[in-house]
Amino acid sequence: MKTLIMTAALFAATSLSPLSLSTASAANLRMSWWGSDDRHIATQEALKICGAKFGHTIAPEFTGFQGHQEKVATQLAGRTEADIMQINWPWLPLFSKSGDGFADLNQFKDIIDLSQWSKSDLDDGTVKGKLNGISVSTTGRVFMFNKTTYDKAGVPIPKTWDDLIAAAPVMKEKLGKEYFPFEGAALDARLVVVLRTTQKTGKDLIDPATNKVAWTQAELAEGLKFYQTLVDKGVIESWKTVAAGGNKPLHENQKWAKGQIAGTYQWDSTYGKIATPMEKGQELVPVKLLTIEGAKTDGVYRKPSMLFSISKNSKDPKAAAQVLNCLLNDPEAAKILGATRGIPSSKVALDTLNKEGKVKPVQLEAYKRVMEPTSPGVSPLNEHPRVTEVFDTNFEAYAYGQQSAEDTAEEIIAGINDALTGI
Amino acid sequence: MSGDNRFMGLIYLSPYILGLMVFTALPFLASLYLSFTNYNLMDAPVFTGLANYIKLFTADRTFRKSLWVTLIYVFTTVPLKLAFALFMAVILNYKLKFINVFRTAYYVPSILGGSIAIAVLWRYIFADVGLVNMGLQLIGFEPVNWFGDPTNALFTITLLRLWQFGSAMVIFLAALQSIDKTLYEAASIDGAGKWTGFVYITLPLITPVIFFNLIMQMVQAFQEFNGPYIITQGGPLKSTYLLPIYIYDEAFKRFDMGYASAIAWVLFVIIMALTLIAFWSSRHWVYYAGDKRG
Repeated sequence: MKTLIMTAALFAATSLSPLSLSTASAANLRMSWWGSDDRHIATQEALKICGAKFGHTIAPEFTGFQGHQEKVATQLAGRTEADIMQINWPWLPLFSKSGDGFADLNQFKDIIDLSQWSKSDLDDGTVKGKLNGISVSTTGRVFMFNKTTYDKAGVPIPKTWDDLIAAAPVMKEKLGKEYFPFEGAALDARLVVVLRTTQKTGKDLIDPATNKVAWTQAELAEGLKFYQTLVDKGVIESWKTVAAGGNKPLHENQKWAKGQIAGTYQWDSTYGKIATPMEKGQELVPVKLLTIEGAKTDGVYRKPSMLFSISKNSKDPKAAAQVLNCLLNDPEAAKILGATRGIPSSKVALDTLNKEGKVKPVQLEAYKRVMEPTSPGVSPLNEHPRVTEVFDTNFEAYAYGQQSAEDTAEEIIAGINDALTGI
Repeated sequence: MSGDNRFMGLIYLSPYILGLMVFTALPFLASLYLSFTNYNLMDAPVFTGLANYIKLFTADRTFRKSLWVTLIYVFTTVPLKLAFALFMAVILNYKLKFINVFRTAYYVPSILGGSIAIAVLWRYIFADVGLVNMGLQLIGFEPVNWFGDPTNALFTITLLRLWQFGSAMVIFLAALQSIDKTLYEAASIDGAGKWTGFVYITLPLITPVIFFNLIMQMVQAFQEFNGPYIITQGGPLKSTYLLPIYIYDEAFKRFDMGYASAIAWVLFVIIMALTLIAFWSSRHWVYYAGDKRG
């Protein structure tokens, strides 16, 4: 028994020793994020640099995007979230309705150099006057076309929706009926409808003043019918055909890799991901948003791609703020992180990358396509899970020919308004 | 039993009992309470009485669709899987060369079947340009839209479950091997053929095992998640939107834990009711050793 007590005492003493030796300023922190391998590697490297600057140790917790929201939600519910979190912008209304879901970063403005962001960037991360997160980068949907396929078909890269529709018969005649100048199902199709309707009406889907659908039934029905026109004219594959392939993401789609699907409307930051699997010799070019005569806005779907937030339950939020500032504003960290989270919103980080030539010209080109066009603004509620559920369920029924465009529009508007009541 | 050993059994059992209480009983009761609340994970639950259940039964078209799909799935897969498992067990009960290799080969899908990797593989096999359609085209048939057509999608998911017949098969095989061979010999002397022997000797003697497999397979089928979630995400047109997927979506995508708990409890009551019906009906068709029924 004596031996047992001695062993236990020794064990307790040794296990506590690091704590007793640690300095007051050094903190043990955790940071969570989602992403792909290049982001994981760069972030871990940057965390080492930033941790070393302040004597902090930061444990990395990273996953792919799939399932990350669920993980963060359960951690927040159990108050076991990481000190520093990469948060998706549309999650703010879910996790911080009143602005109290995360630490208010305004309280750390002596640590975080907020002057590196534009007012609009800071507004995007603010809920009810509290800065819940800082924009890491801005992203948006851009058109990208497979120039090689278009050249082979002898069709110019489209500048208008009419050009796109006109490309379909020529491409099929020259290259075969399995060729499509564009793609769209599920999320991609929804965002095409949103873009087209925004261009025609000059309004975003959700009116931020009322949290209701801003479009009339007729306006939305026209957008839905436009989707059907794209299917009927052979511009895109039907929803049913895309589902037959197993709903694989674009970068896993053989038709995309082979150039048989020759255009898409994607986040600018996904350029690398979707360009990589394309067969050798094929060139993917980001271009300006397709236009329509009489458009009231370019309609760009632009938003913060992600935010960095600090947990309101963090035991050492000041240390977390030091690391956060380092990751976003420190030139050394900026060089390591590069454009792994898109083109940085922080001015000093962007300057550093430009000076160091760390951003590929094609990435800058895609970024320009996001930043230049006009937009009525995008509500984070556009991506609220209840909103997307209502939209996608009814849109799919329309795409399968189960209900008319008018009925679908009515169901979508009523469903979204109902879902957003009280938010 | 001496004083020192009086609680030994309880001590041995305590890790299991503790785990059962913490990881099963507590969440079980918590979910019952949550089903009467509005709980979004971020704020404290707000008691709403029967509101979730009223919405579920009166206003939720998705629930009705999902329940219907789940019932079709269960009532299709369970009998088919049991029949197929029994058929394979009968074949593998013969004394064939390399019989153990065959038994292992047929059991392997059961180990792999529920995994994510197999679900992904299934997605590729049945894709429009997948192996199955390539085979069909080779023999002159038109390719089939396995995932995009609402009628075919549920069938494709059902096939994945049928493919995992191994565990039921092994239990049937053990039951078949325990049947006294002299019964068949006696029946044969009386002029009974193989089919008659199967119907009048084999089937009655393995009814307890059929009953066991029926209950187990039914409960598992009601809880199916991995396959349809990975392969079709419940689509198209919610044709494979089984209740467990709906529960998951409500809980972890839309963060309505109260509503998700209500659906989970309805599912639990359905499983419990069907299990009780099965137990009640077993008096009429399950025969145990020493049974005096005529």
